[in-house]
This record gives sequence, structure tokens and C-alpha cells, in this order.
Amino acid sequence: MSTQQLLPPAVAAPPAKPLRRRRRDGRAAVLYLAPAAILLAALLAYPIYQLVLISFFDYGQPQAAGTAPLVFIGFENYAQLLENATFWTVLAKTVGFAGACVIGSLFVGTSLAILATRVRSLPRMLLFLAALGAWATPAMAGSYVWLFLFDTDFGLVNEILVGIGFDGMAHHSWTYGTFSAFGLVAAEVIWCSFPFVMVTMYAGIQAIDTEVLEAASLDGASWFLIAKSVILPMLRPLLMIATIQSIIWDFKVFTQIYVMTNGGGVAGRNLVLNVYAYQQAFAGSEYGLGAAIGVVMSLLLLSITGLYVRSQRRSDAWL
Amino acid sequence: MAVTTRPTSRRRLVKRPGRLIAEIVTVVIAAMVAFPIYWMVLSAFKPAGEIQSSSPKPWTLAPSFDSFQRVLTVSGFGGFFLNSVIVAVAVVALSLLMSFLAAVALTRFNFRGRTVLLVMLLVAQMVPIEALTIPLFFLMRSVGDVAPAFGLNELGSLVLVHLAFSLPFAIWMLRGFVAAVPVELEEAAKLDGASRLRFTWQILFPLVAPGLVAISVLAFIHAWNDFLFAKTFIISKTENQTLPQAILVFFKPEDTDWGAVMASSTLMTIPVLVFFILVQRRLVSGMAGAVKG
Amino acid sequence: MYVRRSLTGLALLGLIAGCAPAQSGPAGAGGDEKTGTVRVWLFDEANRAPKEEAVKEAITEFKAAHSGVEIDVQWIPVEGRADKFSGAFNDPANAPDVAEFGNTDVASYVAAGAFSDLTADLQSWKEGADLLPTVLDTAKVNGKVYGLPWYTGIRALYYRTDVFTELGLKPPTSLSELTATARQIRAAKPDLYGISVGGKYTYAMLPFLWASGGDIAKQEGDKWTSALGTPEAKAGVQAYADLIKPDICPPEQCANLTGTQSVQAFSGGKAAMTIGGDFNHKAVEQGDVKGKYAVVPLPGTQPGSIAPAFAGGNLLGTFAASKKHGLALEFIELLGGAKYQEKMYTAMGNLPTLSSVQQKVATADPFLKPFVDTLKAGTKFVPSTPAWSKIDAQGVLPTAVQQVATGGQNVDTALSAATEQMNKAFG
Repeated sequence: MSTQQLLPPAVAAPPAKPLRRRRRDGRAAVLYLAPAAILLAALLAYPIYQLVLISFFDYGQPQAAGTAPLVFIGFENYAQLLENATFWTVLAKTVGFAGACVIGSLFVGTSLAILATRVRSLPRMLLFLAALGAWATPAMAGSYVWLFLFDTDFGLVNEILVGIGFDGMAHHSWTYGTFSAFGLVAAEVIWCSFPFVMVTMYAGIQAIDTEVLEAASLDGASWFLIAKSVILPMLRPLLMIATIQSIIWDFKVFTQIYVMTNGGGVAGRNLVLNVYAYQQAFAGSEYGLGAAIGVVMSLLLLSITGLYVRSQRRSDAWL
Repeated sequence: MAVTTRPTSRRRLVKRPGRLIAEIVTVVIAAMVAFPIYWMVLSAFKPAGEIQSSSPKPWTLAPSFDSFQRVLTVSGFGGFFLNSVIVAVAVVALSLLMSFLAAVALTRFNFRGRTVLLVMLLVAQMVPIEALTIPLFFLMRSVGDVAPAFGLNELGSLVLVHLAFSLPFAIWMLRGFVAAVPVELEEAAKLDGASRLRFTWQILFPLVAPGLVAISVLAFIHAWNDFLFAKTFIISKTENQTLPQAILVFFKPEDTDWGAVMASSTLMTIPVLVFFILVQRRLVSGMAGAVKG
Repeated sequence: MYVRRSLTGLALLGLIAGCAPAQSGPAGAGGDEKTGTVRVWLFDEANRAPKEEAVKEAITEFKAAHSGVEIDVQWIPVEGRADKFSGAFNDPANAPDVAEFGNTDVASYVAAGAFSDLTADLQSWKEGADLLPTVLDTAKVNGKVYGLPWYTGIRALYYRTDVFTELGLKPPTSLSELTATARQIRAAKPDLYGISVGGKYTYAMLPFLWASGGDIAKQEGDKWTSALGTPEAKAGVQAYADLIKPDICPPEQCANLTGTQSVQAFSGGKAAMTIGGDFNHKAVEQGDVKGKYAVVPLPGTQPGSIAPAFAGGNLLGTFAASKKHGLALEFIELLGGAKYQEKMYTAMGNLPTLSSVQQKVATADPFLKPFVDTLKAGTKFVPSTPAWSKIDAQGVLPTAVQQVATGGQNVDTALSAATEQMNKAFG
């Protein structure tokens, strides 16, 4: 209720003098938007346009260096990509993997946020510090550390497991089985992405009007019920933003998979789209094909996000 | 205004023994989350023989600074560190400024195409950046012909690119904060005779400070940890390399120096952590503003 | 409304049709300045100091002979070389005058038009006649030489003398003996790998392929076609994949091993045999197996034969757009000459490419004998076409080996998939 109150005034323009306000706004808007707009047009819009263009050409290192002519091949790069059965397998795995990471980070982040509201400041501070540490660790460093910990022969995890009695776990390879490898990487990705969700959700919970929570508690609801029926629904707009960001990031994961599965796993069974693009295109300087994969990935993300937003668009106007 | 209320009555809502259990669980989880970082720092201090031994211990009785020494004496390490700092600080400062202005325009001003722009900003975040390296390479080369400080091999090119990739998300986030400031405030300021410009800078800017902090942290991480664009743009001027590139040196094909890898990763993580700790309080209260968006 | 929409549509079409992706301009003719700074790119090494020493000596000698000349060396990490070279090709202003590069990269670099043709230069070089022909072949694309072979690397069979003595075994003289011996060892000592090889260790798999009579690809005129579908190729790949089995080197541990990791397993005492290079000598010496190992050439299918080895190595090339072409050429002839090849051998253990130098160091160091014998028995190379780096990057061969080793696909399916992918890349 308190969150909704602030929205209508901010979003709807007061109707006092519509025509004059719009004209005035237009000029000021241009001025305020100019720096960002110019930069983004030059450094984002133009390269994206180039990307789409490249995807219609046979464009490799010789073409880029200017020693071979450009050949327009229309949709051939796309055809080559979509006809390849491996692409569809990798796509399915990427959707599954990203889905697991998104659900995992949202679940862990939100639960820990709710947990953090129930404790005093010292434990909460420790949790936040640890989370911020996970967030701050560079992707490559985090991947190598996790790989170390789960190493077949030198890993601490295997040693501990053997120590507490699971002798069969000696020299167990966590990165060999397809699901096991994906699971390990997903754990690492969730480890470094949940802090963003946790901090966002925690702040959102802090902003909820306490009267509502008090009323619910006085009515005798357990805090689990409060969490489920009061807190979570009020956090929906925030959850949606966090989900969209997580979908975008986790769909594009590269470093963790590349490092932890040694370039895509045994016989490429742990490939995700971004690593597949690197292996099939960029590593061999096939920029045209790589551009096509990039365009396809963006369109896929757009559709997935669009579907998600459409499904959530029940109450709050979030634009 | 009423962005956060710290309820004193909250304590009454929680029963005591439940809280103790919750606290124990919290601390255990915090330890688990922090463990990989602890392992990274530990490995940085372990002597060479202990790092890849068949019975790793979660402690070391012979901590040594050898790995750190190898890292810090890499020729030019200090320079690479400084380069990373310069790029990160420049990106943070500029993205704060530009995203604030853009967010104000997109939230407060009324003009055609506002929704389209917002959607475009969202879509811009979906393109995998690895695919954009070649077009950006040629773009920066042309830029370098016009403005040498921002061309290839120069730190300026990195600043521009990271700005471009941080802005969409920054603008999206900051929108929520700006939207949370009631319009009545602006009306009141206008009645008092303040121009829009004065209102924006003297009143609105400080009010969204928590949001600015949140964005600066994300922009910092993005610029600090970048490896892809540094290795694509900085080719022949090795003195302009950034920290992640310097770490690559330790991944030798025959004999990766794991101690040095862990030591340099630790050194890379520390500044980000320091930045975090300094701003964490404002970060959390800042995120609350995003709810309103 | 409609006018605007159709105008935008037309504009878009015009944009796409009329515009083309950015390209670099032509590299320029290059020049022959006699003074200035010569820019050199060399590969960084695990222990760079000895290499740096030798190179510094060469620089001093060069500067003494040429006044007004400076040499600026940049050390490129091998792992990141692709981007550096891409950058150099895409922006000639950033390119060096001289570069060290691997011979497997020659074909694709030449397709990018960056390196100059050294055929005539090497022929007129007084030491040029001494270059080993098989090694020189690896620097050729379409019959022209694009780099001066600086050093070569050959692989052979390392084995544990203590384990062999204990079990009363002799070093294998044929590939089938190798497999049998490896099985025997693991059966007797379950904590050891019979031989440590990996799914990603392509350069160890290739001798098996070649020894069985197979080949990677065949060239007819300008066109390359994959030759992996032949029965000989299948036999060779199967023989290698049979080593990655629970009774020798279990897939769980070995399917994803690279060459470096395989050798590391051996030097860490976890394997009784491995296929390693002359360049792995130092690393193995520093491992747990010091004093307990010896090397023999990797045998072929017939008892007593030697399997053709992969002739790896690095070359020194000059950039076509270099403004100091003469100086660059002289520098690589100095660095690649007998004197410095010997110094590089002492510093890094790199096998020289000049036969006189090779003879000299082999006589002085008995450790090199099996490698030199392997080299003399004949080496082979990967298809020298730009498509090879694409095939390599896509991991076509490792994937096929891994599929067979893990039982995911049988050798026929795996190799026909590989053939298809390779032919698509060959075009």
C-alpha cells in the first residue's frame, strides 16, 4: 500500500498545463539525455548494428584485415547455425542451466534476505560481508578456487568426504558427469550471484511498512506465513527486476563454464551458448558466424524476458 | 522522504529462541559462503609444495609471502594496478553523472519515445559482449584517429567501452530512485523560486545518493574485473595493460603458477572489498529506493 | 503515419544493403629503413629468465653490428596470443616487425596476409641449407616458406624404470605391446595409471593415427578433404581411445586431460608411462620421478618401428607491412642461427632446427637420443590450410576421441561426425 502510493504521482504527469509542459520537457530532455545518448549511440547502438551486418557476411580474419573481399551471404550463417543439431542441444542445456541458476540465486538470495531481517546486526553484518566477498571475487578467480576445492585428487571436498566415511568418493571427479559438472558450475554461479538478489530483497523488505507486518503478526500468523503471503507479494516488482537481471546474466555465462569444464566438458557436453559461440566461431576467427550466434542469443533473451514480463504483468504498472 | 523506516517494534515480532537459531544458521551460512574466499587467500599464503598436495589442509603452518612476491615483482605490476584504478574511477565518476542525468530525463520529463528508449536500454543489456569485440575494435581505431587519448592501446578506450556497458543497467536502476522522490517536492521548490536545474542538483541529487552508491559499486566491479576488452584493445602498449591481463602471465601452458594465480586474485579482490565495506551501509539503504521503481 | 513507417523501412533496407562491415585498410607496402626501433614479439615462458638472457645477448650483438638501431622485445603469454595477433592483423599500426609463432598457426596467419614470404631469403641465407627439411615443411604454406624454424618439439614415450624393473617388463616395441603393458601395470598396481594420456591430448593421438596408416586429411590440388573415415584412421583412433579405459587410464580422470596434464600426472608419480616432449624434460626432472624414468621412441604398429611423431615447433617471421624489413630479416637470421639455437637449447631445452646444431647437442646429451631418432624416422604435420585452426578451435578431434573413450559413440559414428565437421570447415 505504501509502495503503491508513491507510484501514481511520479509516473503520471499532473494535467495542469499539458501542452506547454511537454514542449519544455522536450528541450530539457534532449539536454539531459544527450551525454548518455551520444555515448550509447556511438558505442553500443553502432556496434550492435555492425554486429547484425557482419552476421550477413562471410567475415573472418582475412576479411577483417582487409586481405580478402567481403562476400554477402544473406542468411547462410543463420542457416548453418540452425541446421546444426548441436546448436539445439546446447540451447536446451543453456536454458536448463540458466534456469537452475536463476531459480537458485533467487531462492537463496530471498531466503537469506528474509533470514537477515530476523537476526541482530552482528550476524547480519557477517552474512553481508561474506556475500559481498563472494560478489567481489572476479569470475575467473572464483572459478579456479571452486575447481581447486572440488579437484579430483587434490580437492578438499573429496578429502573431507573420505574422512567422514564416504570412501567411494576418493578421486571422485565432479566435472566428469554432465549433470555433476553443470551442478558444480551452477553452485559457483549461484554463489557469486545471490548477493545481488539478497541485498536487493533485503532493502525491499526493510522498506515494507511495519504496520502491515505487525498487523499480520498480531493476527497470529507464523513468520513463515508472513513471509509467504505478505512480504513476497509486496516484493514482486523488485523480484521481477532481480529475475530479469539474473536471466540476462545467467544466460550469458561464459567464464565459469569455460574454466570449470575445461572448455565445454567431455565431448562438449557441458557447452552453453556463449562458450559454444566462442568454440565454433570466435576461437577460429569466424566472426560472421559468431555475430549470427550473438544476434540469435539476443533475440532469444528478448523473447524469454518478454514472456516472463507478460506473465507477471498482472497488477503493478512497472514501466 | 519515507524511503526506509527502521521499526523499533520489529523486535517484538520475533520470538527469542527462534532468533537464536536463526542467528546460528546465519553465521554458519556466512562461514560457508566465505569459505572459497578464505581458501583463495590461504592458497596465496601457502608455500609451493602445499598448494597442490594430495592432502590439502585448510590451514598452513608455514605461511609464506613467496607467491605475493612473485606477483608484485612482475615487471610493471604497480603500473597495471594503477591503470585498473584509473579506468575504474573514471568509469564510476562518469557513469554516475551520465546515468543520473538520463534517469532524471526518463523519469521526470515527458516526451515522446520515452518508453521506446527504456525498452532499448533493456535490450542493449541482452547482447553478449564477446560478440561485439570486433566491431568495437574497429570503432576504437577510428576514434583513435580523431582523439588519440581514446583510441586503441589507450586507457581512454577502455573507459568509453565500460561506460557504454554500465550505463543501461545504471539508468534502469536509478530510475526507481528518482521516481521515489515525490513530485510535490519539485513543485514546492518551484514555488520557492528554484529553477529546475537548481532543484535537480541541489535537492534531487543528494536524495538519490544511495542509488548512486549502488550504481558506482556495480560499475566499479564491471570495470575492475574486465579482461575481455583490455586484451582486445591494448595490443602493443603493454604499459597500458590492466590487472587481469597481468595475471594471465601466470597461466603458463607447462606449469601454471597456482600460488601466484591465487595471490594475484586476492590482490584483485581486495580493492573491491574495501570499496564495498566503505559504502555498504548506504548500499543497502540505497537498494530500498529501487522498490519504488 | 504510414509514410513515416515506410520511410523508416526503406531507410533500414538502405542501411543494410548499402553498408558493409568495417574492415582494416590494406597493410601497406612496408619499407626498408635502416635505423629506428625494431619491434619483436616473443613468447613468454614458465621460466623466462634463461630465454631472456639468450635474447639479450643476441640484441647486444645485433646493436653492435647496426648503429642507430634499438630492439624492443614484448613478451606474449602463449595463452593470450590469439588476441594479440588478431589485433596486429586488424591494425597494422600496432603490429610488430618480428614475431615468434607456433607452426600450427602458420596457415591461418598467412591467410590473414600478415607475414612475408621468406622462401628466397632462406635459400640465400648461408645457414639456410642446414635447416632440417621435415621441419622446414611445417613452415610452408602452398609451397612458400613464411617463417624461419627456430626450434622444434618432438614427443616420445617416457616410462618408469623402477616400475618396469619391479614387474620384469621391457619398454614396448609396438603399439599393441604398449596397450598390453599398460594393462599389466595397472592390474599389478591399481593406484597407477598404465599410461597417462588424455582425450584432449591430440598430439599424442596423432602418432597412433599415422602409425596405423591413417591420415587427418588429403589434399587434391587446392581442396582438402577429411580422411578420418578410412578403416586405418578408425583403427588408429580406436587404439588410442582404448588407452582411456578403466583398466589403463579411467575416463573419469583421463577423458579431459591435456598434454600438459598428462605429463604432470607422470611427473607427479601417478602414471607408469606417458607421451611427453623433449621440452617436458625440465618439468619431469623437477617432479617426484626424478632418476626413476627413461625415454624411448613411441613405437609403431610393427615391432621395432617408430610411430611418426607430430613435428611441433615455433617459427620466427617478419611482418609484410614492417617498415624495417631488412633489419627484421637480419635479426631473425641472427636469432635463428646456429649460435643462438645452441644457446636456446642450453637455456630452454628446445630442440634446434639446424641439423649441425642438433647433431652437436644430441651427441652431448644422451637424453635427446630417442627424440632425435624419432625425428629421423619421419614426422608428420597437420593440414597446412587456414581451415585447420578453425577445426582445432572447434575441438573436432578431441571430441571424437572423447566420444569413443567414454563410450558415448562408437568409433564409426564419432569419426563420421568428425569427418562431416571437418569437411564443412574445409569448405
